[in-house]
Amino acid sequence: MQDVLTLAQAGGTPPMAGVTLAHYLFVSAAMFALGLVGFLVRRNLIVMFLCTELMFQASGIALIAFARYHMEMSGQTFVIFVLTVAAAEAALALALVVLLFRRRDSLSTEAWQEMRG
Amino acid sequence: MEPSREGVPLVEQLVNPFLLYGAIALGGIGVCVALPRRGVSPQAIGALLAAIAGAAVLIGLGLGAPEALPNIHFYIFSAIALGSALRVISHPRPVYAALYFVLVVLSSAGLYLLLSAEFMAFALIIIYAGAILITYLFVIMLATQSPTEDRLDMLADYDRAAREPVVATGAAFVLLAVLTTLLFSGIGQLPEPRDAMAREGLMAELPRRVESSLRGDDLLNRGDELVYRADEPWALELDAVERTVLVRRATGEVEAVGLPDDLRLRNVESLAFNFLNEHPATIEIAGVILLMAMLGATVLSRRQVELDEDLKAAQASKLRLGPGGGGAAQPVPKAPERGDAASTQRGLPGGRFSSGGRDAPGGGQA
Amino acid sequence: MLMHSAVQNAAEAVVGGAVSAADAARAFALPEVTEGPWWVALIPFLPLLGAALCGLCAAFKVKSKLPAWITVALLATSFAITVAMFQQLSGGASISHAFRWIEFRWGPEADQIFTANFSFYADNLSILWMLFVTGLATLIALYASEYMSHEVGTGYCRFFAAFCLFVFSMSCLVLGDNLILLFLGWEGVGLCSYLLIGYYYKKPSAVAAAKKAFIMNRIGDLGLLMGIFLTFVHFGTVEYRELFALAEPYVLALQQGRIGDIPAIVNLIPVLLAIGAFGKSAQFPLYVWLPDAMEGPTPVSALIHAATMVTAGVYLIARTYPLFLASDIALPLVAWVGAITALLAATIGMAQFDIKRIMAYSTVSQLGFMFCGLAVLTTAGGVFHVLTHAFFKATLFLACGAVMHGFAGQLDLRKLSGVMFMPGWLIVGLAMLVGCLNLAGFPFTAGYFSKDLILAEAFITPTMAPIGWILLFTAGLTAYYTFRVFFRVFVGPKEFHPGDDAHGEAETDVEEHSEQVEQGNPQAEAVGEKAHDVGDEAHGADEAEDHEHGHGHFHPHPPGWAINTVLATLALASILAAGLYFIGDKGWVDGMLQSSTAQQVYLTQEGTRASGYALVTAEPAAKGTFLGFDPHKAMYYVSAVVGLIGIGVAFVLHYLGRTEAATSRADKLLPAMGPIATWAQDKWRVDELYDMVIVKPLRVISHIFHVIDKLIVDGLVNLFGVLPRMIGSALRPVQSGQLQGYAVGMAVGLAFVLLVVVLMAVAGAGVAS
Repeated sequence: MQDVLTLAQAGGTPPMAGVTLAHYLFVSAAMFALGLVGFLVRRNLIVMFLCTELMFQASGIALIAFARYHMEMSGQTFVIFVLTVAAAEAALALALVVLLFRRRDSLSTEAWQEMRG
Repeated sequence: MEPSREGVPLVEQLVNPFLLYGAIALGGIGVCVALPRRGVSPQAIGALLAAIAGAAVLIGLGLGAPEALPNIHFYIFSAIALGSALRVISHPRPVYAALYFVLVVLSSAGLYLLLSAEFMAFALIIIYAGAILITYLFVIMLATQSPTEDRLDMLADYDRAAREPVVATGAAFVLLAVLTTLLFSGIGQLPEPRDAMAREGLMAELPRRVESSLRGDDLLNRGDELVYRADEPWALELDAVERTVLVRRATGEVEAVGLPDDLRLRNVESLAFNFLNEHPATIEIAGVILLMAMLGATVLSRRQVELDEDLKAAQASKLRLGPGGGGAAQPVPKAPERGDAASTQRGLPGGRFSSGGRDAPGGGQA
Repeated sequence: MLMHSAVQNAAEAVVGGAVSAADAARAFALPEVTEGPWWVALIPFLPLLGAALCGLCAAFKVKSKLPAWITVALLATSFAITVAMFQQLSGGASISHAFRWIEFRWGPEADQIFTANFSFYADNLSILWMLFVTGLATLIALYASEYMSHEVGTGYCRFFAAFCLFVFSMSCLVLGDNLILLFLGWEGVGLCSYLLIGYYYKKPSAVAAAKKAFIMNRIGDLGLLMGIFLTFVHFGTVEYRELFALAEPYVLALQQGRIGDIPAIVNLIPVLLAIGAFGKSAQFPLYVWLPDAMEGPTPVSALIHAATMVTAGVYLIARTYPLFLASDIALPLVAWVGAITALLAATIGMAQFDIKRIMAYSTVSQLGFMFCGLAVLTTAGGVFHVLTHAFFKATLFLACGAVMHGFAGQLDLRKLSGVMFMPGWLIVGLAMLVGCLNLAGFPFTAGYFSKDLILAEAFITPTMAPIGWILLFTAGLTAYYTFRVFFRVFVGPKEFHPGDDAHGEAETDVEEHSEQVEQGNPQAEAVGEKAHDVGDEAHGADEAEDHEHGHGHFHPHPPGWAINTVLATLALASILAAGLYFIGDKGWVDGMLQSSTAQQVYLTQEGTRASGYALVTAEPAAKGTFLGFDPHKAMYYVSAVVGLIGIGVAFVLHYLGRTEAATSRADKLLPAMGPIATWAQDKWRVDELYDMVIVKPLRVISHIFHVIDKLIVDGLVNLFGVLPRMIGSALRPVQSGQLQGYAVGMAVGLAFVLLVVVLMAVAGAGVAS
């Protein structure tokens, strides 16, 4: 953990010791892709929303990585904002899920496809 | 990382494109295989393939910047994060998916720590793992009827198999390929990382901290005081590069005193400066959003009592006649009873959430 | 102004090219234009205020005669102002500017200008017109207050609002200082005419008549509108003051026989304006709407369709007389159309049985006289006839209206007889007699003098003698059919059959109960008279009970004070109008008009020779004669004799020996006349002819177009409708309703957009390197 703490201290150590920005960006992009896959393949409404949270998480990593790279705190501030939106979205989405579940007794997205051409 | 300044900044300078796209394709196949299916599903093989692909890209990236030492913590945390993420999307049980998501959050927090964003790391754990995910778990537990025993056939039909895994994975990984290309080609064009020292200038706006630190190190005696700027009376005369601060001694002479080494700007402090100084409206907007979300959630999940016409008429007459009036003679049936009875008669497990039910969790199954 | 000056230069070139500056006599005396008093604007705007107030009455559902009194009061004020203006006006013309209305500027330096202000041009001609328009409107509004009393509460406000609006429009038409304002008034009176003809909108025939009048008028309006357009195109202005000055050189050119100097467009403008006048004044071939317009309430017929609106065409020609004088084809056209109309309408009028309709045809016929009067260069005669006709025709119509009012809508002259001698009907009968004498041209009546002026001038004007003969013959016919009505309806044995409704609207359920006393006993005529008298007294005793409740018995109710006052006033005015002829040298009207632009203009000998048609020359030798006598003197006797012959024939055929209402001696002549009588009764089948020649072909063409529309146009439209539908049905499966299907689309779309961005970046980098 000593390394972690050293890294965490701003100043002395060079940014991204041993790891490039590209690493973090790849992790972020891969996590985003996984979240997207989950959103697309899962049929459970709750899990789908979980996957959107995954995508939020991925964007958070990218933002923090950029913030570190630029030594600019706005990236972190933005993550706070993303967190807020995620929390609000979770609250509303879960309320909706509950509502939908009451109507159909099912969490499947396929229970809700009346609006089709 | 040393971004190449000369020539065309392309993906090739970071990682071999064949490696990258091959690995992404492999990862796509792996994820596709790892998704839940009916019958036998080689999820482990898929996960392995995906892991190999991810590792290949990361190692390739590491090889692209050979002079930098690999940071083992990064690899550990990202492996846990991506592996858990794969599990989130591939685990047939929503509860487990949510728990794996907690793992994703924790490892992301680790990555945040590596990126010297301690405040955000802990905020993430508190908000995500502590609040949001718990809400998810509540809803999952309320809305799914999976019993405790470990039998897949008790799963809801819609949890058992992925829908259109090939198309979805294809689309997502094409997007990933494009996204990585975009990100990697953009990296070369980024400006030089800013000097970490630049932010230290903010120290000038933390006079108490500087003073207590100086006094702790006995650099400041009784009667000495720090010199404030003439134009910005709240800020100190502090030189961030030389790490000195002007002090007016008790004798009246002014001299520059070097700052202690452990006096550094903390993450929380700089974040707070950024948050409140540069984005003051953010916190207000966030507050309004959260308030609205709370109201919206309350309105949406409110129980909707459906009264039929004669019931309404009966209640209206009761209201009109007032307490003790003729309306009291009529027995007024109560809506919740009706709803509860209906859901019980239907015998559906979903009766728990059915409209007008008394929301007893076991009501339907009783 | 550029255009003005260009035209002016051209015009001056026309003038200056032929005659020297000293020789450039004025073609006519342009009146001196001064700025008029502001209160002239009240003449039109008080009636407009009245219309607004009546509208308010309608909005507040006023259930009294309030709108009538508003209307009468405001119109009387308007009349008083007109009289005041008349007093103030001494020759010349005055323009009272109300407000700027239309003003366009264009051109490179905004030097081209089109102005049409809301200004009022008061000269002797327009004030003369306004005098009888507002005066008659006041009287007729008073009459209508009683006549329309059945309508109180329902259509009363609507009637008087339209009435006021009509007077406003007519005032704009007459007083406007430019052709655009005239057109506004022109369309306004057309609209009010439509509204008032269709007043009983529940009656299909009234609705049809209203539509017919409106559409027929549109044909004429097209001509007027095109005339106005061409006026602006050629002269560059529509304001009378400038227009007359600009037209003068052309009049001068015609006067001096330089016909080649007059461009075709100047010839065309008056012809188009005349077509507009034909439409509004119900001249052949656009006259068919006027008889049908009698579906409206009688005061409307009297005011709009006899006295004022239909004379708008005459006014238009008189107003733009300089333009007509500049053309050598316009006035002959007007003359022939007027003469043909006069004869045709008179022959139809002879064979009709509906007294209001007869009056309508006589109006058409008399309008023909007026047109001829203008066309044979006696504007004084034409306008004087307008004036006298306005009074006596209003008298006649209101008398007919009183009969209609009293006899529950009965208008058939075969079902009424001896009305004048029924109790309470004397004033109506006398008024009718005065009107008939005027219309028939009985010696020393106003109608006699005004008609004589026209007839005499027709013989004086070279090449116009045939017109004079036609008009003379028509005058005889007029006397006959006029007194046919009088002898059958107002005198003779008393007898009546009430009509089946009151005022056209099925408001009361008076049964069709014929009260024929002594119907079947022609021998005992005297006894029958007595029986009638007794019966009438009995009716008088029963007067207390409302006749509309007496289902078994119908009692004609004689007119009340309002109708009687108005009739007496109008009859008196008709008689007194004759006196105007003796004021001044050639009559009062002539004196008035000589100081306006509608003055007689004389040609030189060269002008007469060159144009062939010729305006009157100043030299007495060139004047025509009536069989070698001075037409003016001869006509006093000739037209009196012709009129008396007509009256005599009517007396013999329709009064002598007539014992009942339904038949007369004239019926015996019918077989001898063969189909002619039937044809005349069928109005020469002009309506049917129009139907066959115009309406049917149009309908066939419209059917063809309908088919084309269905197949090609609709097909094309449908094709454009079907195409998206096909595309839509092809794309519909995409709208699967499955959330994730859309999400896949989103992801792929995002990937595509990012790919484009990457490729562009790569391409940009490639170019940069």
